[in-house]
Amino acid sequence: MRWATLGRGRLYFLLLTLPAVLYVIAWRTAPALYTICLSFTQYNIIYDPGPRWNHLANYLRLLHDSGLLQALRLSAIFALAATGIELVIGVGAAAFFDSDPPARNLLLGIFLLPMVMAPVVVGTVWSALFDPTVGPIMYLFEVLKAPEFQWLASPLTAFLGLIVADAWEWTPLAALLLFAAMQAIPREQHEAARVDGASPFQLFWRVILPQITSMLVVAGGLRLMDAFLELDKVFVMTGGGPGTSTQFVSYYVYKQAFQAYELGYASTVITGLLALLTVVFAFYLRRYGRMLRSAAS
Amino acid sequence: MRTVAGQIETRHDRQEADTLVAVRGRRRPPWSQIVGTALILGWTLPPFLYLVLLSVKPERIMAVRSALIFWPTFERYREIVITNLGLPIWNSLLTSITGALVTLALASLAAVTFSFLDFRGKAALFLMMLLPRMFPPVTTLIPIHLAMKTLGLIDTRTGLILLFAAFQVPLAIWVMRTALAEVPLELVESAALDGASLPVIVARVVLPLAGPGLLAAFILAFIFNWNEFLFPLILTSFHAKTGSVAITSFSGGYKQLPWGPLAVLGVVMTMPVILFVLAFRAALVRGFTAGALKG
Repeated sequence: MRWATLGRGRLYFLLLTLPAVLYVIAWRTAPALYTICLSFTQYNIIYDPGPRWNHLANYLRLLHDSGLLQALRLSAIFALAATGIELVIGVGAAAFFDSDPPARNLLLGIFLLPMVMAPVVVGTVWSALFDPTVGPIMYLFEVLKAPEFQWLASPLTAFLGLIVADAWEWTPLAALLLFAAMQAIPREQHEAARVDGASPFQLFWRVILPQITSMLVVAGGLRLMDAFLELDKVFVMTGGGPGTSTQFVSYYVYKQAFQAYELGYASTVITGLLALLTVVFAFYLRRYGRMLRSAAS
Repeated sequence: MRTVAGQIETRHDRQEADTLVAVRGRRRPPWSQIVGTALILGWTLPPFLYLVLLSVKPERIMAVRSALIFWPTFERYREIVITNLGLPIWNSLLTSITGALVTLALASLAAVTFSFLDFRGKAALFLMMLLPRMFPPVTTLIPIHLAMKTLGLIDTRTGLILLFAAFQVPLAIWVMRTALAEVPLELVESAALDGASLPVIVARVVLPLAGPGLLAAFILAFIFNWNEFLFPLILTSFHAKTGSVAITSFSGGYKQLPWGPLAVLGVVMTMPVILFVLAFRAALVRGFTAGALKG
């Protein structure tokens, strides 16, 4: 549709976008900017009648916050471990789907189930599986005469439990993206490799893998970012515990804002987080920008 | 002695088999696909099936973990309708559907403009609409909490609907735009030449043709609203509590939990999602990859 056929329609059309634009500004852009403003204020919702300007005091506190540092470290380890597992299993699953198994689409639909389930339900499922009274995993340990312990109540195993749950939930996304990338590879290349006498392993390693690297970068980047900010499953499965051993950075923000009611300081943490993510993201784009464009096309 | 017809048939069969091999590129030994299928099912299903099992396990053998075969009880599913556990599910359903419908209305109008018109600053505007998807939702948490408090919308379904309507607009615009790209421009132009007014063109020509895109956007918005946890958690406490918040109100880290009702709630929360996924697989796969790539 060009301007000529539209006539006076131009104005109507711009009016059509207006509600959506205003809505997104009101609920997404403006709040994000207000968070940055709040980060320069002292605002405890119990003690302070309103936000009070305190310049950079929050940021000084941020630099000496050992709890935050620990949360950042835990989140980073969690994100790296979960993403690694998801990519490895995801590549395997994608290669399997790429081999055109019977009833592929139905199987794919079933495989995607964990990722579209509510994250809190995924958390519930895995806390049930790890539970000492009703769960089969601890029962297995008991049958095998392993020493008794509570899976989600010991620091290391609770952390592992969260990684397992995250891998279960998000491997399908990695597999889906990688599967799409593999489908884009022309079938002639498979045949040429086979004619040249390549084994299935060589075909995968030498022909397929080099062509899906850009999608690996995309999927990995996405998962790293989301896993770094994981909250829902932590909430359901461990509540950040035992102690603070699974207190990831989102949970730390939640606790600052809605348990300690320190809205000002929580905003500072969020702003700091946003700055950190922006830097990481810019670096990522700089490094892999060309790969992203080739993956999108 | 074979008949001519028989020969033709066998040749035809062989040809078909040959093209099949050619189309699929390579044939793996079937056992690897059987093992693969088993691995996929063994990875995805058992955790969820165990939740279903717990939800129908009679209370008195709840802690007998070796009991995997028993006479199922559906008491708890009946209870959920009459007890206060029904309310969160109803809240979830109402707010997610209404929110998704409003999202759809806002996004489809905007998507029509974005895909059919060229105007100065279009790319910038489009980027501004999609950018909010890039930064994490937690950045908007505190101001939205304060705003809802000021408006007196804490713990109301209206508040949740207002919020849900906004959240998925960027994703819905993205999904809709790919759908609208497939609507032939000639149709729209000929309608315009025939003297149809703009609202008529949009309502009678463009939107019907973009139906599948609308449906995909609706389902995605619904699922994301339905699964949303953080915002309902801080904005609701009792009256407007959603299903996902109700699930966590049971849990307190690692103490003894009422697993029966919890499992029922989990299964009920998953039902609509399963239905949607199995019914609209293709649309969802497209939408999720679009959503994942975030523009």
